[in-house]
Amino acid sequence: MYFRMITSSLIRRRSRMIVALLAVAIGATILSGLVTIYYDIPRQMGQEFRSYGANLILVPSGDDTVLGYDVAERVKTFIAKDDAVGIAPYRYGTIKVNEQPLMAAGTDINEVKRTSPYWFITGQWPEADKEALIGQEVADLIRLSPGSRFTATGTDGGGNSFSRDFVVSGIVQTGGTEEAFIFMSLSDYGDMMGNSGGIDVVECSISASQTALDDIVSQISENIENVTPRLVKRVTESEGSVLSKLQALVYLVTVVVLLLTMICVATTMMAVVTERRKEIGLKKALGAANKSIVMEFLGEGLLLGAFGGLLGVALGFMFAQTVSMNVFSRPISFQSFLIPATLIISVAITGLACLIPVRNATDVDPAIVLRGE
Amino acid sequence: MDLLELRDISKFYGNVKALQNIDLTVKQGEWLAIMGPSGSGKTTMMNIIGCMDKPSNGSVVLEGTDISKENAKNLTNIRRDKIGLIFQQFHLITYLTALENVMAAQYYHSMPDEKEALEALERVGLRDRARHLPSQLSGGEQQRVCIARALINYPMLILADEPTGNLDEMNEGIVLDIFKQLHRDGSTIVVVTHDPEVAEGTQRTVVLEHGRISRITQNENK
Ligand SMILES: Nc1ncnc2c1ncn2[C@@H]1O[C@H](COP(=O)(O)OP(=O)(O)OP(=O)(O)O)[C@@H](O)[C@H]1O
Ligand SMILES: [Mg+2]
Repeated sequence: MYFRMITSSLIRRRSRMIVALLAVAIGATILSGLVTIYYDIPRQMGQEFRSYGANLILVPSGDDTVLGYDVAERVKTFIAKDDAVGIAPYRYGTIKVNEQPLMAAGTDINEVKRTSPYWFITGQWPEADKEALIGQEVADLIRLSPGSRFTATGTDGGGNSFSRDFVVSGIVQTGGTEEAFIFMSLSDYGDMMGNSGGIDVVECSISASQTALDDIVSQISENIENVTPRLVKRVTESEGSVLSKLQALVYLVTVVVLLLTMICVATTMMAVVTERRKEIGLKKALGAANKSIVMEFLGEGLLLGAFGGLLGVALGFMFAQTVSMNVFSRPISFQSFLIPATLIISVAITGLACLIPVRNATDVDPAIVLRGE
Repeated sequence: MDLLELRDISKFYGNVKALQNIDLTVKQGEWLAIMGPSGSGKTTMMNIIGCMDKPSNGSVVLEGTDISKENAKNLTNIRRDKIGLIFQQFHLITYLTALENVMAAQYYHSMPDEKEALEALERVGLRDRARHLPSQLSGGEQQRVCIARALINYPMLILADEPTGNLDEMNEGIVLDIFKQLHRDGSTIVVVTHDPEVAEGTQRTVVLEHGRISRITQNENK
């Protein structure tokens, strides 16, 4: 009967209850949305910061002058899959185009897209064999534009001369040394230079905290011989402090929203209770103990809180998703712990917000019922 | 046997003397009408008898125990166990069906019992409207639901404040018939009314004026 009474009250007094439900749901939405963003900021912003280049570089050390071809694969085993934004191995060598000596770089083009997303490309990234991406300086020097052809000549690792034709897929501008290079796939590079050497440098872009990075560095030094991992420190550190400031901001906003929600829900419940003074008087006239009345209002409040919270989880995720898409242009990851957390918080807040008006409710004089107020 | 005894009851609201020095006894099984002009203190008296209000002076003795000094919680319990209330404005809970309204009274009293509640509605001729909300019932039907609710816990005293005040003649007749049946079954009923026709059916009429009893008439034939 208790349950029947409170559900009837909620369902049959729909229009009133929807207002209260909305108050709870909006609060829960903003709350869960902000918390989702709060937790996703490091990930989102971390990736954003990665746009400014690699933060870990592997170079050969000891007796070796090059790294093994498998070094990229081996390094990956020490980095959590989600944290590895990109791992790009590079081979460098000199070639001649129109008798001009130039630097050629063989690399994994797909990984470079991820380690160096800030590269500004006119034309396209190389996709097929025998396509090359040339730096702006190279383009200026030998007057090439996207779609042009050129012939690369030189001598390979075994001392034999070679000559290969390439198509320019695009021109890259970075404002840095990259503009003096000709980039091509590792297989094209190997086809020219042979595969007797190895990888010269590996650039890694990793989305992880400073401690996690330090951890990766020590793992690599310990486990892969003749490799020196070097952190590109500056970016990583400033990244950390900006992140924590941003998180603090969102945290503050969350707390303020939480307080506002509480006030909003409390006033709504207050209005609901005041509106129902006559009903409370009647129930008391029928012999309802104060406890029963408190339980009924609390039950309604808690049900409202639960439904509002549930609605809030769903809407909050949509809200966070929208914000994330607009601000970071990336989908957000759903924090599953938010379902119970939002539910508990919104139930607790509505419960708390109900208590004050419900305590007043028990002061209602049953005599008002006969008076027909 | 006296079920209820008012001893020198007075009730003041600030300067307003709503009731002054009322002495009245109601016997077990008696059917009593209270009449009087508006503002004479009828509702005030019902509230005091119904344990919803306390007198400023004097004592109320219900079944031999003085209840005028009880606290609110005990008054609630007494009201729940011994009193059935019928209101001029019906006062049904708007979001509960007729049946649920009756069951709510059972719930506050002890345990809801759907079968018994349906039987109560049957007695007032509303079994087929049990699943309707108050807004879907006519005034007369709502009043009958209110009566079914008042009777569901077998109160020893039924208090009705202008039960027919908002009803047309036909519905008034139906309600009066229910009261007559209750009286025949031995219930004690106190009814406040403006309507001489209602008063005629009762055994005794108490007339209030300016908070005092001005006249008591005995209807000899009853
Ligand atoms: N809560 C209150 N505060 C102040 N005065 C009150 C209060 N309740 C009733 N009164 C006054 O007490 C007097 C008796 O009121 P009561 O409601 O008992 O009259 P009544 O006989 O029931 O009238 P009616 O026939 O109009 O219902 C009136 O003068 C009324 O103004
Ligand atoms: Mg009155």
